[in-house]
Amino acid sequence: MNARLGFATRAAFTLLLAWLVLYPIVIVVYDAAAGDALAAFVSRPGEWRVLWASIWISVVSVVLAAAIGVPLAFLFEWLDFPGRKTLGSLIALPAVLPPFVGVIAFLFLYGESGFVARAVQRLLGLTEPPWRLQGAGAILLVHAYSMYVYFYLFTRAGLAKLDASMLEAAQALGAGRWETLRRVTLPLLRPSLAGAALLVFMTAVGSFSAPYVFGGGFRVMTTQIVATKLNGELPLAMVETVALALVAVLGFALLRRTEGDDILTALGKGTAPRRRPIRRAGVRAFATTAGWVFAVVLLLPHLTLVLVSLVPYGTWTTETLPPVLSIVNYERLFREAERLRPLVNSVWMAGVSTFAAVVVALVAGALVGRRRPWQFRGPIEALLALPWALPGTVFALALLTTFSKHDPLTLRWVLVGTTVLLPLAYLVRNLPVTGRAVLAGYRQLDPALDEAAASLGAGRWATFRRVTLPLLKPALAAGGSLAFVAALGDFVTSIVLYTPDNRPIAIEIMSSLRVSELGVAAGFGVILMVLSAVVLGVGARR
Amino acid sequence: MSGFVTLDGVRKQWSHTVAVGPLSLEIPRGEILVLLGPSGSGKTTVLRLLGGFETPDAGRIVLAGEDVTAVPPAKRRCGMVFQHYALFPHLDVGENVAFGLTGRGANDPKVAEVLGLVGLEGFERRRVQELSGGQQQRVALARALAPEPRVLLLDEPLSNLDPSLRERTRRELRALIKRVGITTIFVTHEQEEAFDLGDRVAVLQAGRLEQLDTADELYEHPASLFVAMFVGRANVLRGKMARMLGAAPGQVLVVRPERLALADAGVPGVVRERRYTGAAAFYLVETETGDRLEVLARPEAARLGDRVYLEAVRVLTFPEERA
Repeated sequence: MNARLGFATRAAFTLLLAWLVLYPIVIVVYDAAAGDALAAFVSRPGEWRVLWASIWISVVSVVLAAAIGVPLAFLFEWLDFPGRKTLGSLIALPAVLPPFVGVIAFLFLYGESGFVARAVQRLLGLTEPPWRLQGAGAILLVHAYSMYVYFYLFTRAGLAKLDASMLEAAQALGAGRWETLRRVTLPLLRPSLAGAALLVFMTAVGSFSAPYVFGGGFRVMTTQIVATKLNGELPLAMVETVALALVAVLGFALLRRTEGDDILTALGKGTAPRRRPIRRAGVRAFATTAGWVFAVVLLLPHLTLVLVSLVPYGTWTTETLPPVLSIVNYERLFREAERLRPLVNSVWMAGVSTFAAVVVALVAGALVGRRRPWQFRGPIEALLALPWALPGTVFALALLTTFSKHDPLTLRWVLVGTTVLLPLAYLVRNLPVTGRAVLAGYRQLDPALDEAAASLGAGRWATFRRVTLPLLKPALAAGGSLAFVAALGDFVTSIVLYTPDNRPIAIEIMSSLRVSELGVAAGFGVILMVLSAVVLGVGARR
Repeated sequence: MSGFVTLDGVRKQWSHTVAVGPLSLEIPRGEILVLLGPSGSGKTTVLRLLGGFETPDAGRIVLAGEDVTAVPPAKRRCGMVFQHYALFPHLDVGENVAFGLTGRGANDPKVAEVLGLVGLEGFERRRVQELSGGQQQRVALARALAPEPRVLLLDEPLSNLDPSLRERTRRELRALIKRVGITTIFVTHEQEEAFDLGDRVAVLQAGRLEQLDTADELYEHPASLFVAMFVGRANVLRGKMARMLGAAPGQVLVVRPERLALADAGVPGVVRERRYTGAAAFYLVETETGDRLEVLARPEAARLGDRVYLEAVRVLTFPEERA
């Protein structure tokens, strides 16, 4: 590629990305600032209360997730007890539950007519359900359950990288166990902890399913935006969107700064501490029992989903456990084409958007992955990462606004009401995942391989097809599977952008719940769960 | 001999087949003792037992008259320099050095003092990542010395340095330790390093102490075949060739390259290889018995393919050991 053509290609690609990712946001910000909705937002105390709710729910979610995930990580990484390996992987289970499916599983399990509530009601002989799963507490419960995994996995990875001689050095210098933890271990874990906090905060700020189902009268910004939009107050919804985006970006910047550079790899070397077996029989038995009880609690939502999916319509009324079980829901799903439609819709949209996201990432990698000059490298990487820093609701609203107007001169076309808009939103939302994976993959490639291929007579395309692509396969599989699963289970963007022609699974689950077809809803949930687990499993294989 | 550091029948069992000890050692105050042995010989285990990072299954460890066998590392007052230095990457040089000075910060005069001692004056505010390997090693040493430990433990601290830097660092290290006057135990698998640094050298193999002596004694009077082979270059001969050079039947004979001479009469052989090192040359001579012997001689003593005669000046004999 000669230099001028290369420059032009990079510039064109950067502009295309900017149009896809940045332009819609700019339009929303512009529209929000232009109208009088801004004044309305500022003057309504309700709006500020909702914004504040989004912030504190997210912060408390981080604290709760850390309180569960960090001690568990220490337990599984530093101590040894029977069943450690099995339990250690079971504990990451909430990760295979798409957010919305997890939420309805919680509803079936802990909701006012869920298994646990029924059991308690029967046990105590109450006439009313013992509690209602609603409000901030319920949201936090779901968040803690689904998000502690980030802290658990990040902390374990951090601990595994820890050099045992660091801890011994501290001890040789007179530091006891607690002092070593405080002065050496925790500071060394800071990047891992900040990374997990960042992930939890971003997920919690953008969380929609839990507040939507369990919020009741309690609103956070994501649910408020959708409600305002349904009310027809689109300008106000845009102001709310910008407010939410600001909170997210602020949190992102703040946590990113604490994360710092990866100090652990900076000095490298050394081996992780040996696992200490728990010797005292009593403590061992306790740790093992507690571990298994915990694992069962974690598995309950999955089991609940399976159980409810086997309940035929109208057969389960006041009993604690459903009296009739059959696979009739699944049968109907696969016999009636109309019922299967949402599954087909979700699969094709997730497939197409993931494929496109992978292609965009590959182009980005080929353009700025390694070969100098690195013009546009910064902007391209930033644009690829941007959708990650913004909640799904923000992008949904932004795309909705941008593509509701026909004005080719400003690069806007009417896509609202077509089946294209939702996969486009999935694509934008998936760019950070595939982009990160592919760019990281590119960075690990030895530049000499290209030259070796060229010296053996392979042209640019042959080199890409025969050398680069095979080497990138693990990165592509990992990034692609994560993107596919995210799109498959998406609820946040879907609820804003779906049309009758491309109703995805999550929306179908929602409407099944509305008409009390719990079995059908759970059945879709099980399918989604199994599909996600299979795809993630295939993607993680080397 | 007054034992400042005493190991008394110390034993650590790793598995049914792998164990260290029982081991007894006495180290007088101010001595530099080197633990030398191949990997897996248990030298690092002995060091970690001294530091308190491992607990012995049997035996006693006494430090300055105090039985420290059950004392945790934090209370032992042993300074330790780790193989990869284990500098805390989240702290700067001064904070690293001040870590063991309880309640005192990086501005404490002690920090400047020990940094001066290792030749790193004014390095307090530097990030440890910015330092070269040699500087990191010196910071690790300063950090270990700052709390004025009773014993200094060093775990192959030179193995991460460039070979050219290693020799100089080794001499500086010895001079520094002697200036401080601290009792030191140093672990290495390199014989040259052991000889250069140690007042005495303990040769370990398979968890056992083979010999504890000065460098000269180890080289000239090795107590076992293993020591003879591990310390210095050695031609190990068995059978007919051994008997030709003076060994009794059933004995193994060891002769060092410089103790063989190319003479006018003796054991005949042919020069198969010649390796020139400047001041001298190594010759590989193949005898009629098929043995190959390494001989150190003047560079012009012979050429490739020459027929020569070997004469042994001094040989060592050992009873055959069962593998």
